[in-house]
Amino acid sequence: MELFFLAVLFLIMMYALGSGFPVAFALPGAAIITITLAGLSGYFFTGDSGAYFTQDGPIEWLTAGVTNFRGIYWEVERDTLIAIPLFIFMGIMLQRSRIAEDLLVTMAQLFGPIPGGLGISVVFVGALLAATTGIVGATVVAMGLISLPAMLRNNYSKPLATGTICASGTLGQIIPPSIVLIILADQLASAADQAASERKSLYKEATGEFSMPSTLDIVSTSAGDMFLGAFIPGIVLVGLYMAYILISALLKPSTAPAVPYDGKLLERAFIVKVVLSLVPPLVLIFVVLGSIIAGIATVNQAGAIGAIGATIMAGYRLREGQKDAYYPAILAIASIVFIAVLLSSFSLNIRKIETSMDVFGIMLAVVGVIGFVTAVIWSGWRTLKIEDTLNGVMVESAKTTSMVFIILLGAAMLTAAFRAFGGEEIVKHFLTGLPGGFWSQFIVVMLVIFLLGFFLDFIEIAVVVVPIVSPILLSDPTANVTAVWLGVMIGLNIQTSFLTPPFGFALFYLRGVASSVVKTIDIYKGVVPFILLQLLGLTIVGFYPSLVNYLPVRTYLTSETAPPPKNPRLQACLEDYLFNYYVEEEGRFETAANTLLSLDLNKLPSELRRNVKDSGETVLNLPMMISDIRNAEDALDEASIDYRPIHSEVRMLERDIRRNNRQFESLKKEIRGMEDGDVKANISAQMDELQDEIETLKSQIPSDWKSVNKDYKVYQNELKKAQRTYRKSVDDAYNNLVDTIVILESADELEALLPQIRALGDAVPTEDGPFDAARDAIGDAATLVATIPGTNAIASSLSKAKKALRKRKEKPKKALKSIDKAIGLLEEDVRARKASAGALLPELKSFEASIRDTVGLRQQSRLTDEQAAAISGCLARHRDISLNF
Amino acid sequence: MSGDKGLNPTIVSICRFAGIASVALAIIFLINNFITYVGGAPGVYGTFGSVGLFGFDAPKNEVSGGMLTLGWVQVLMNIAVIAFAAYYTKSMGSLSVDAQRLDRMSSFVIKVAFWAVLIVGVTDAVLSFLRVEDFHTAIFGKEIATKIGQSKWRGAFIHLPLMALAVFIAMRDRSVSVVWLITLVVVAELFIVLARFIFAYEQTFMGDLVRFWYAALFLFASAYTLKEEGHVRVDVIYASFQDRTKAWINATGSVAFGMPLCWLILTLGLSSKSSLINSPMLNFETSMSGFGMYVKYLMAAFLIVFALSMLIQFTSYFFNALAKMNNEILPEAKKEA
Repeated sequence: MELFFLAVLFLIMMYALGSGFPVAFALPGAAIITITLAGLSGYFFTGDSGAYFTQDGPIEWLTAGVTNFRGIYWEVERDTLIAIPLFIFMGIMLQRSRIAEDLLVTMAQLFGPIPGGLGISVVFVGALLAATTGIVGATVVAMGLISLPAMLRNNYSKPLATGTICASGTLGQIIPPSIVLIILADQLASAADQAASERKSLYKEATGEFSMPSTLDIVSTSAGDMFLGAFIPGIVLVGLYMAYILISALLKPSTAPAVPYDGKLLERAFIVKVVLSLVPPLVLIFVVLGSIIAGIATVNQAGAIGAIGATIMAGYRLREGQKDAYYPAILAIASIVFIAVLLSSFSLNIRKIETSMDVFGIMLAVVGVIGFVTAVIWSGWRTLKIEDTLNGVMVESAKTTSMVFIILLGAAMLTAAFRAFGGEEIVKHFLTGLPGGFWSQFIVVMLVIFLLGFFLDFIEIAVVVVPIVSPILLSDPTANVTAVWLGVMIGLNIQTSFLTPPFGFALFYLRGVASSVVKTIDIYKGVVPFILLQLLGLTIVGFYPSLVNYLPVRTYLTSETAPPPKNPRLQACLEDYLFNYYVEEEGRFETAANTLLSLDLNKLPSELRRNVKDSGETVLNLPMMISDIRNAEDALDEASIDYRPIHSEVRMLERDIRRNNRQFESLKKEIRGMEDGDVKANISAQMDELQDEIETLKSQIPSDWKSVNKDYKVYQNELKKAQRTYRKSVDDAYNNLVDTIVILESADELEALLPQIRALGDAVPTEDGPFDAARDAIGDAATLVATIPGTNAIASSLSKAKKALRKRKEKPKKALKSIDKAIGLLEEDVRARKASAGALLPELKSFEASIRDTVGLRQQSRLTDEQAAAISGCLARHRDISLNF
Repeated sequence: MSGDKGLNPTIVSICRFAGIASVALAIIFLINNFITYVGGAPGVYGTFGSVGLFGFDAPKNEVSGGMLTLGWVQVLMNIAVIAFAAYYTKSMGSLSVDAQRLDRMSSFVIKVAFWAVLIVGVTDAVLSFLRVEDFHTAIFGKEIATKIGQSKWRGAFIHLPLMALAVFIAMRDRSVSVVWLITLVVVAELFIVLARFIFAYEQTFMGDLVRFWYAALFLFASAYTLKEEGHVRVDVIYASFQDRTKAWINATGSVAFGMPLCWLILTLGLSSKSSLINSPMLNFETSMSGFGMYVKYLMAAFLIVFALSMLIQFTSYFFNALAKMNNEILPEAKKEA
């Protein structure tokens, strides 16, 4: 029956969407109706309103849906969604104040004289400014209204002109800062959580171990990551589009003629105009994206910067031609420069005001902030008063924001209903049952999304389809794709779908605003090359996931919250990089180690001598350890060739067995307490069938599987052992060295304690006498000594002395003896430390410096920028980890 | 269009009655929810239960005589508004005029809510700032300072009076509307940017304020968006429909998809003490990080504002669509003619 209601849900939804009722209410409405129907029919036909749900009843599922509504804004975790209204505000402000239009017109004039220049500038502006409205329709309409007449006037061929506009109108959707990317990130982050727990349970089932190593985890995403990930693919697409326009302009000049500029190109007024209309929007986009890419600002903060920047720009654009037009903008820039200077020369941290200089700095900064805020209010006042711009922007932004978020809200209800009737399980069964593993699942999902793109807009697909299918794709260990990559691929895919005749969204919208001179067939013809370019782009990104993953990884590794080099997830790539480095620089390491070992270490205390020797020897041993690991790796790789097919076959069989088992169990539950009759007989027959199937599946598992699996595990363990040996050796080598240095450096500190320790002996009364004071003094001294490294022996002698004086068992003589021993040890220690410190310390330090970022890397708090850059490429690749499952 | 027949008058009357009754009942439902869970009245079902009517369960605790009277008042209010709806429907009015009345009603609800979140947001942010920096003891004295740290006191003695003030402002002000929330969100986030990047100052209440206003923005603006046709449609087919068909879709859609959603939020959110909206409201729930703003319970109430304003707006939308199907001429158009 669940299936029936799933079909009802689907039909009502199709009707509701197809009829054209607002999506935001059609989705939850369909869900509510279906859940109610199922609840009522359950109640009337079986007496149990929850009978037709996979679990729980209608009230629970409806409550779950309403709880999801609240979840959108209730917790801090989903705060990146706040960036959406901010970017919408920015985009609409730029449009309404005609800055976007200026940009397009000026670009067209600037690039017009080169072949295809007008088309290229349309692509450029589309990519830059179309991002923020969130709905494909609005973007294409805006581009169509501004650019199409200009292109037709200048005798561009109709197909080329319309194709360019459709393509660049949709392009903005995947170029940051696009709000679709933010929504995708939001959905994918929770999908990744779900996928992670699925992968964990898979690991448990496959290996029997409870905790999965974090190296096998799924790479999740955030809005910032999504922006970074989409950046390079976006540029690739822009490049492809531009190249196509340029090439067709060169091959067939009549399709995209050069547009001569009637004024003089090098005229001063023109240059000023170009600078004024080009530079500010570019700077704004650069600041907004740059602050995210550099990890300085969160996406929300960048959004606020964008919104304010757009307001300031609108402030002068709206008063164009007046003398005072640029005053607020100049004031804003001056304030920012002033504050930047202050930031570099004062400590402005308001919580750490220590000197009067700090106070002075902060007061100056307050002046700067007042200046900036004045500029913002001034610009804001202009947008409010001139042409009612601010009001228009607010109305438009509020409407768009509400539109986007109420869809999110509605989809939350729909997802609840979908789960209530077991839809998720069905999709999962279908996808995982497909032959061919991840890639066939992926292609099917992409095809479905492509088809849905004909009917639904970006946001709907992101909130309805992505949460259902992406956990399945993400949890697959064979492809082990990152959430960012999946998001970008989905984005590119939907964008292609919007362009595809006869249903593509962009085509409809352009048709709506294009003059009747343009025939529909022109538009269809025009988009075909762009669809091919899109597919090319999809293929490129599909085959080179690094294009997507590189920037997020690299930013993460160099950010303030970068993981320490010891993080297990980094080890594979880090070691790869380090091993190559060792091999290249083998000579240098060898010389350094030999220099160290040839030093005169005799004066060192024996323990320290051993430490230093160990460090040197470990470094000399590096090539051997590396070759051990590499041999183990090669052996494992070789073994994997034969092992992989068997492994995947068996795991597939096991998965089917588990699935059948689950089905069997649920049927068993259903049949319990059922009266005899046709239904029961039917179910029993089904159960027998399942049982048989399970048996057949079991018999298909090769008989030697256990031993094959065991043999393979030996190789895996060999590698693990070699890696462990390496890691432990380098950790010890470096730590011991650093300990030694610290011990030697503390000679003076230790010497300073001598008088106090010597005085202890006199403080102990010989016979019976109050021992309390002496005991406390000894205790204090022991604590002091323990703060200095390498004093275990001394400290333990002292605590022995203290122990000898414990209450009612005082043995002053024994205490004195221990104290004497401590003094002796201390004197000797000080002598030894001082003797070796002079000559040895600089040598040790230079050795430490030479291995700090290699052998000692795991002990550092962060990677160097150079190392981060070097391993980002490796981390950006998808690695097949299926053999661990 | 003029050739089209209008709708059957009985059907129009029933629709009109149902729409008005639904809005009126929703308002009474909210008032009763307050009387029940704050005032301690037994509620409609509880009242029936206490006297053994209609098979409702009696409340667990004995209902005192005074409270039982209050319970009967609650029952009577429901009957009264239904009677009112019936009486109102009897006077043959124009559906478009009704729709305009409902529009005004919905925008008044939103206006009150807007002023409330504006004033409460600013005040509570300032209080939270004073509290996190421990300035509040010096300013208000020890006794009030402790009380400021208690969410119940803040809710009852600061937020509630401010909300009353919001009602007052909303009745007078005609210039500012809910869309200003977007500017407030921008300003609040700019405040974070300036404080963080210049003075290295970051506190929970700053993020709380942005979240408070942003949630209000999209929930409160929804009714206006519906009125202005801002909610996106899949208009592949819709665009080619005739006006009458469009009106039919909007009318049935409002009743089948829109209104149930609003009623669902209200009934599930307010059905008992531990319900989704009631529970945080009655406990004056705050966020986990003790020094943030104390407005989380109000964010639960946003859903009430959303549901009520949308219910009213959908009813108006429904009436407008009916009017179109009934070939009613808009009052303005009539005047011009």
